[in-house]
Amino acid sequence: MEAVRLSALNARIGRLVNADSSLREVWVTAETSDLRVSGGHCYMELVDKDDDGHTVRARARAVIWASALPRVEARFLAVTGTRLRSDIKIMARVTVSYHAVYGLSLVISDINPEYTAGDLVRRRNEIIARLRAEGVFDLNRTLEPGPVLNRVAVVSAAGAAGYGDFIRHLYSNPRRLRFSTELFPAVLQGERTASSVIAALERIMERVDEFDCVVIIRGGGAVADLASFDDYDLAANVAQFPLPVIVGIGHERDVTVLDYVAHTRVKTPTAAAAMLVAHQEAALDALRGTAAEIKTLAGSYINGQRQQLAYILGALPAMLRAVTDAHRRRLGTETASAISTAASAQMRMQTQRLDSLAMLVDALSPQATMRRGFAIARSRGRALTSAATLSTGDAIEITLADGAIDATVTGLHIPEKNKN
Amino acid sequence: MPDSIEELSYSQALAELEQIVATLRGNNCDIDRLTALTRRASELLLECRRRLTATEGELEQILAGLEAAAGE
Repeated sequence: MEAVRLSALNARIGRLVNADSSLREVWVTAETSDLRVSGGHCYMELVDKDDDGHTVRARARAVIWASALPRVEARFLAVTGTRLRSDIKIMARVTVSYHAVYGLSLVISDINPEYTAGDLVRRRNEIIARLRAEGVFDLNRTLEPGPVLNRVAVVSAAGAAGYGDFIRHLYSNPRRLRFSTELFPAVLQGERTASSVIAALERIMERVDEFDCVVIIRGGGAVADLASFDDYDLAANVAQFPLPVIVGIGHERDVTVLDYVAHTRVKTPTAAAAMLVAHQEAALDALRGTAAEIKTLAGSYINGQRQQLAYILGALPAMLRAVTDAHRRRLGTETASAISTAASAQMRMQTQRLDSLAMLVDALSPQATMRRGFAIARSRGRALTSAATLSTGDAIEITLADGAIDATVTGLHIPEKNKN
Repeated sequence: MPDSIEELSYSQALAELEQIVATLRGNNCDIDRLTALTRRASELLLECRRRLTATEGELEQILAGLEAAAGE
């Protein structure tokens, strides 16, 4: 049985492949996988999956040589906003190459970034549609931020320039606005971005009462890898976060899903700080307005009271005079003195009358008459005024000035003219 | 609502201030109450202001802390 060595067989394959012009400079579409850069060359697997996204229908190794990589990658990044990485769809111009040792591989000479960009947009739109369908898309965007946002949880890479810019801008505000910040370190580029930021959000969530807002920032500088923020899980976490999330991930041109779901999207970390400063300045101004209003209102109250008091004080003397005058008129000092004059005259008159009466009574008293020699004769207690009422033998009592005599009638002498 | 102003959240303090403004606007507060209300208002305003702005000393402390952190 005749056999050839493997090298001979592989040489035949190589001749076949390399001679076939239909295997040269072919545009193919596929998904990237296991992408890595080594020795300046970029190696990856290209995969063709079924529409369900799981079943692999074809697979091939591919490489971008170091000579082509800078040009291809720069253009790719400029158009798509993402670096070449795994799990993205690309349209690449390839030449099939066969090497006796390394086997079959596709040498990529160019990539059409518009294809990937379109796919990223489609993917982003799918994420947005899903968040909308689940009713969470607007949750963070429509959060009503508190009157102050000065307790800030910062999600950033610790040493990043953007973080420094943010902190400097925040704390060097000219009005000395008070802020407190706490850094929750996270990876903000590459494939770990989503899981790293979600983990930071979970740490903030454990102490959610200690913060007013979350700021997710990333340094500016070169055009950066943004597609890593187009992640459903990350977007869903941010959308449902109970504090307003401010995103400043250092880009001008493109917008990621994160920018759509976050409460506020700013271009740079510095702009995020400026936004917080402006919010707090507004709070401080509102406070000043309130203080001024209270001062004015309290002042007008006091003025009102003062005016009322002044009016009362001004009117008081006249009012008092009017009242006392009225009383004086009614009582009348002249009347009073007239009354007393009249009363004393009356008294005098009455006294004099009493005096003369007493004299008269004295003059008329039987005592005085008896002292002059008259006597009172009584019979059975009654003064006698007629002799005819008596008979011989009646007992009578005769009262004199100094005593009384019991006597008996012994004879009656009544002139004829007095007899009836 | 707690009486101690330090225990109030900024929102609570602000709500109380607005209540005082509404009472004063209502023109039906007597002069004795006015004194109490304006005193409370000025305390609330001071506390709110304190929470919004830092003193020079505090600011220096914060910046020094940041520089130390940056130097690590």
